Amino acid sequence: MAERELELIFGPQHLGMVGNLSISLNVEGDTILSARVNPGYLHRGFEKLMEYRNWIQNFPLVCRINMIESEPVEMVYAMAVEDLAGIEVPERAQYIRTMIQEMSRLSCHFTAAWAYTSILGFDTPAQWAMGDRDYLLDLFEDLTGARVYHIYNMPGGVRRDLPEGFEDKLLAFLDAVHNRLPDYNSTFFENRLFYERASGIGKISPEDAIEMGGTGQVLRGCGIKHDIRKLEPYAAYSDMDFEVPTREAGDAYSRVLVIRDEMVQSVSILKQCIEKMPSGKVYEKTPNPFKWKVPKGETYVRVESARGEFGLYLVSNGGNRPYRAHFKTPSFVHGLVILERLLKGANIADVGNIMLSLYVIAPEIDR
Amino acid sequence: MNDMVDLLKSIFKGTDARTLGENRLSVTTPGESVLAVLDYLKASGFYQLKSISCVDWIDDNEFELVYHVASLERPLHIMVKTRIDRDKPVFPTAMSIFKNAGIFEREIHELFGVMFEGNPDLNPLFLDNWKDIPPFRKDFDMRKYVKDTYDSIPSFEEYKWQKEN
Repeated sequence: MAERELELIFGPQHLGMVGNLSISLNVEGDTILSARVNPGYLHRGFEKLMEYRNWIQNFPLVCRINMIESEPVEMVYAMAVEDLAGIEVPERAQYIRTMIQEMSRLSCHFTAAWAYTSILGFDTPAQWAMGDRDYLLDLFEDLTGARVYHIYNMPGGVRRDLPEGFEDKLLAFLDAVHNRLPDYNSTFFENRLFYERASGIGKISPEDAIEMGGTGQVLRGCGIKHDIRKLEPYAAYSDMDFEVPTREAGDAYSRVLVIRDEMVQSVSILKQCIEKMPSGKVYEKTPNPFKWKVPKGETYVRVESARGEFGLYLVSNGGNRPYRAHFKTPSFVHGLVILERLLKGANIADVGNIMLSLYVIAPEIDR
Repeated sequence: MNDMVDLLKSIFKGTDARTLGENRLSVTTPGESVLAVLDYLKASGFYQLKSISCVDWIDDNEFELVYHVASLERPLHIMVKTRIDRDKPVFPTAMSIFKNAGIFEREIHELFGVMFEGNPDLNPLFLDNWKDIPPFRKDFDMRKYVKDTYDSIPSFEEYKWQKEN
């Protein structure tokens, strides 16, 4: 026990905390000696609730696992059911899925940029990011009828086709984002104040990142080129031409730069989607949801969400409901294992900084 | 992938491996050789533990533990499965092989009540003062729990009536 050790409860009601997560810190002066993350403020037991609902009824449930980016959760569940039931998805539906995944990734990155900038006091880019995200939410509303929880993916495809004039609206938005990104660079990503604040903070070595189960930006921020979209292409990603951005340093700054570069890649993928969009049907007919029994079996399906690998282990016993569903969420290891490790020895003022660079989203931990 | 199946079958007695789709391998093994299988897989390139799942097969009176291991270079994803007795759910921890196993075991301990021997930190993760049986077990009735817990809270009118009388 250090001489002037003090326990500090950081969050969930704390100005420096984004999301409902609590961290108890043992501090001496401004330095953190040890940290312990206490999740559970948003535990709703979704995996248990899924066992009480039939295969289709679960869609409005699973998307609530992550409020910031609900698309990968929906899609991973739809893909798992398709895999168990042996449903082929039409090509146009695959392209629409790819498109909505990338829109969702952009929107998640904008939200992250908002959270990060506002926590560090860069108020102007924070407002821009929230504003730009809102244009995306308008597009989501146009496409799916909802802004946050879209419930757009279904086993066998997507719920409906693109509305008239949607491509033009999306292209106009993409051009606006493309023109806007240099402004984000000068006010935030390449701002010297931010560089001083984030470089060298929360440093992790590639060996540790692998050992602790890191995925997504945590790996790409320390030089490991790993992306599920390249490793095991799903939807229409095998037809898309894109780069996997990496940085070598492994600190908070490099993870944020990876996010910035991914936004550029997302814009490019979205443009390719619109260009290559095939015609055809968007939905493969599935049986009556109340009588639908999915064959017995098990599957593990994964997608690359904005924060890393998002997986679902789904077991069916041949009934009309899932027998067991278990989500592998990126924030679970990032928030509970890596965050605790990186906070050791850090400064109190950097807790939010490190947490957001790891892209920790609390509802995903709790489920 | 097929050579992997044959290798695993020949090295570990009582182990069965089968492919599920293109890039998935399901390995079923008895409890005592799980750690050896995991160790072997880690040495042969599947060096990241992605997650540990638990399934409650109440009809067989067994829990099934599923270890998800994968490599970062190959698309192959391996699920190592084992069944343990539901009445005496005790299993050794995998922390000696994969350092991040502890947190998944902590979750399973809380939600299913499986005891992991050798894991120093099995404190509750999500639930607060939980007195019932572990909630993710199949014999835990969620609807009954909700009724028992929240129906006993008096409505505002009842509360006012109780206070006035």
